[in-house]
Amino acid sequence: MNRLDAPQARDHLEMVDRILAESHPRLCAGGEFFVIWGIASAFATVVFALADRNAIPAAALWSVPLVLIAAALYTSVRARSLRRTLARTSLVQREFFNVLWLTIGLAFIADAAAYRIFTGTASAAIWSIAEAIVLLYIGMHGNRRAQIAGLLVVVSLVAANFVAAPLAPYVLAAGMLVGYGGFGASELLARD
Amino acid sequence: MDELLLSKVRLGVVAELLNFDWVAFSELARSLDVSNGNLGAHMSKLVDAGYVEEEKSFFNRRPLTRYRLTKRGRDAFAAHVAQLQSMLAETK
Repeated sequence: MNRLDAPQARDHLEMVDRILAESHPRLCAGGEFFVIWGIASAFATVVFALADRNAIPAAALWSVPLVLIAAALYTSVRARSLRRTLARTSLVQREFFNVLWLTIGLAFIADAAAYRIFTGTASAAIWSIAEAIVLLYIGMHGNRRAQIAGLLVVVSLVAANFVAAPLAPYVLAAGMLVGYGGFGASELLARD
Repeated sequence: MDELLLSKVRLGVVAELLNFDWVAFSELARSLDVSNGNLGAHMSKLVDAGYVEEEKSFFNRRPLTRYRLTKRGRDAFAAHVAQLQSMLAETK
């Protein structure tokens, strides 16, 4: 076949239009990652706040890196397995994971390498900002739950600024748990 | 016109891959409603022409073959569709 006539060309173009119209990829956020990181970040924030008030022994601080390493390991292994087995991976999905890793990576660098600038509550607030960016990015692609969750995290950030200083870490932790972790749980429930 | 994309199945494959990073062979066969044998032959031609990249792996001990569009395939698709559109415009 070397040429097409007009009806065949129209038929081909209609097929292309139909395929492209049906291929609007939904952004799959991967609920379990959000649950795990919502819990891990809230846990770290609360443990640091409690240690700051001497409410727990200093040795309990070692639980934070252990929890973070476990979360990072799970994320890495699970993401790798998902990437290899998904029947379809959209370009939007790939871009989303780039945004996710860049945002969380920068937050990690800010906390780990710029700890003299981002001390105490500021270090937790960095995580809140990173989580809000990720959620609102997903929200931009039409996920209403992510929009609400992102706003919850932003509200927790602003609220933490106005409550009594000792309470601020707990408000941020609540935002992480309800906003980030809650969004993950709602995604998992919606998927099932 | 691009002879490789004159086939409706191959044009459909490229259109299916356009918005996706990787798509599994089974998913392409399902969405284009073609047999595995038929699709396999078309995929070989697209891979040989460099329009599509193939990745073979195993998942739960079962083979998994996925494809993604290359830049060459994307450019060829855009040029082919533009030619189809201009051909239709001329016949109006």
